[in-house]
Amino acid sequence: MGYQWNWSIFGSPVPTGETTYLAWLLSGLQTTIVLSLSAWLVALALGSLVGVLRTAPSKALSGLAAAYVEIFRNTPLLVQLFSWYFVLPEILPFGLGDAFKQQLSPLTQQFLAAMLCLAFFTSARVAEQVRAGIGALPRGQKAAGLALGFTLPQTYRHVLLPMAFRLIVPPLTSEFLNIFKNSAVCSTIGLLELAAQGRQLVDYTAQPYESFIAVTLLYLAINVVVMGLMRIVEARTRVPGYLGGK
Amino acid sequence: MISIQNVSKHYGAFQVLTDCSTEVKKGEVIVVCGPSGSGKSTLIKCVNGLEPFQSGTISVDGISVGDPKTDLPRLRSRVGMVFQHFELFPHMSITDNLTIAQIKVLGRGRDAATDKGLKLLDRVGLKAHADKFPGQLSGGQQQRVAIARALAMDPICMLFDEPTSALDPEMINEVLDVMVELAHEGMTMMCVTHEMGFAKKVANRILFMDKGQIVEDDDKDSFFGNPRSERARQFLAKILTH
Ligand SMILES: Nc1ncnc2c1ncn2[C@@H]1O[C@H](COP(=O)(O)OP(=O)(O)O)[C@@H](O)[C@H]1O
Ligand SMILES: [Mg+2]
Repeated sequence: MGYQWNWSIFGSPVPTGETTYLAWLLSGLQTTIVLSLSAWLVALALGSLVGVLRTAPSKALSGLAAAYVEIFRNTPLLVQLFSWYFVLPEILPFGLGDAFKQQLSPLTQQFLAAMLCLAFFTSARVAEQVRAGIGALPRGQKAAGLALGFTLPQTYRHVLLPMAFRLIVPPLTSEFLNIFKNSAVCSTIGLLELAAQGRQLVDYTAQPYESFIAVTLLYLAINVVVMGLMRIVEARTRVPGYLGGK
Repeated sequence: MISIQNVSKHYGAFQVLTDCSTEVKKGEVIVVCGPSGSGKSTLIKCVNGLEPFQSGTISVDGISVGDPKTDLPRLRSRVGMVFQHFELFPHMSITDNLTIAQIKVLGRGRDAATDKGLKLLDRVGLKAHADKFPGQLSGGQQQRVAIARALAMDPICMLFDEPTSALDPEMINEVLDVMVELAHEGMTMMCVTHEMGFAKKVANRILFMDKGQIVEDDDKDSFFGNPRSERARQFLAKILTH
């Protein structure tokens, strides 16, 4: 097999001539990063809320939160994505669905659906971690917070969550990494993120190896940065005298 | 100060407390003892509403704990509680442990709260440790901080749930000394403990619990002199020979 390696394709202009293939890749990288980061922030907020509700004394609230987790954790990501993008706009009431389809640019529609899909999917997983973190704390901590006169929300805010989040930094790191990997699914609704741009490069340049190697390296680079970030978070929040702290 | 009347509590079919009644007057020190699982912790947690109960009434300073209209956080902020496992907040410095509830619950300013916290820390002999974290202190030191944390709220009474039973023997006295001092200053205290030396020194009355019931509620001298129930006699014989 006589494969002709040609790394210079990244600098060559795309067919329309206005930019280079490298610029395509980088714009895909940018979309992947913006999409994943915004989805991660929403997932953290939503997941924390649902995780807390799962430990709430009210049976109704914790049941509701459990149902939420089941739905978003136990259906395929691809099915969820199609639901957000194709199904939801058709069934949204009050003309919201039509507004979505008519007033937003196709690009915004894709991005919004992809972001919400990744955010909700990941929030269910974050919620499970938050619940586990709270559950891992000594039971007396909640009692101690309440006994000092904290309300239940104050007890969560000042006593339970600060320690619970510290405990779950490692599993949250892997959820954070997952959201970048999962974002590749969003190419199926036409969003030009990193994986989609990589495929486009293959189609246009007929240099699949170079394209996929470049895409792989970019995903790996994201991994390295995220792990570095989370390591800093872990070090910054380390509690002296506790667990691995000193 | 604390009035417990005909309190019963069950988990499903399991009766934890059966018709418990007693009274703690202002300035009194009551020691609660009894075998493991007899309901001591449950009873004391009912006093500040940490555990709900199905029947009977408990009032603290005239405020009914079981009344749904009662502002429980406010009531709890006036009742100090010390736990077997200290339950300091591990992610906060000792100073923050002492001040956070003063600031967030009582609305004190940070400076006033710190002032108060450090004074109490000094009083339990740990002033030098203000900037450390709970995990850097010994058990006895942590428990003394926990007592200071409760006192920082200016409580009208203090509840202790086996404050020394998680401690190594050599640390028990440093905690008991603080409690004895508190008692001598006139603090109203309800203490679950098996430290009979402490009971003999400062208790006004001893409650003996067994199987969810208050079997004895005697003044100290008659309890140690001549407990009326066979179960209390056996219990005393067991723990006093240790
Ligand atoms: N949440 C709970 N559910 C069911 N049973 C409980 C619960 N908490 C405590 N108990 C039971 O109630 C009894 C009294 O417990 P406790 O008040 O902790 O006893 P003590 O402090 O005297 O050792 C024990 O038999 C214990 O197993
Ligand atoms: Mg107990």
